[in-house]
Amino acid sequence: MDNFDAIELKLPLKAEYVSVVRLTASGISNRIGFDIDSIEDIKIAIAEVCNKLITVGNAKEDIKIIFKVFKDKLTVIFDSEDKSLKCIFGGSENEFGLSIINALMDEVDLCSDSYILSISKVIEGKS
Amino acid sequence: MAEELDYREEHLEGSVNIYLKGELDIYSSEGFKEKLYKTAENTDADLKIHCENLRYIDSTGLGIFVGALKRVKAKNKNIILINLKDNLKKLFIITGLDKVFIIEE
Repeated sequence: MDNFDAIELKLPLKAEYVSVVRLTASGISNRIGFDIDSIEDIKIAIAEVCNKLITVGNAKEDIKIIFKVFKDKLTVIFDSEDKSLKCIFGGSENEFGLSIINALMDEVDLCSDSYILSISKVIEGKS
Repeated sequence: MAEELDYREEHLEGSVNIYLKGELDIYSSEGFKEKLYKTAENTDADLKIHCENLRYIDSTGLGIFVGALKRVKAKNKNIILINLKDNLKKLFIITGLDKVFIIEE
């Protein structure tokens, strides 16, 4: 496994904080060398996961977002103490959100045993 | 201060112009949905939504556009999206909504 830097964000599942997540995602993506279109893609994909979590979550537990910065890619992991948040896109009525995430990210892991889900994007020209 | 959505309406004969400015996300979408649906239900005209100052949209926003389209289509009217930025147009293409809405430069 490659070395990576991890940046963590922990926040309540509330609509008013999604813009904070977008700003953070944009700052990190810019820092590690994504071009402007990819930064937009990452922001949108992460926000779509947040939207879904807000829609299905019970809002009692915080959500933890871990940005893992690898040499050639960014992986974003979503986790929570609320263990009912598993496979949140299963049987989805919010199809737009999932199509958007799948189209904009390179790797999408929707069901994991160790966290809620993870999405990754490769930094072009660094792999 | 969070980025909000600015909404302005202009009623003309045969069409309603709607000007959007800012970010349309899960937070700003509630108020937007109310205004747009109300206009879609109460006017018998095409809705021209001007998007040149719209910087961000997510699936919540797309869903609201679809909901409004259903309401105006019931009266044989349309929604025309004008001057969508490329990064937003991309989301309409991904979701297939570029074939559902009239998108104009």
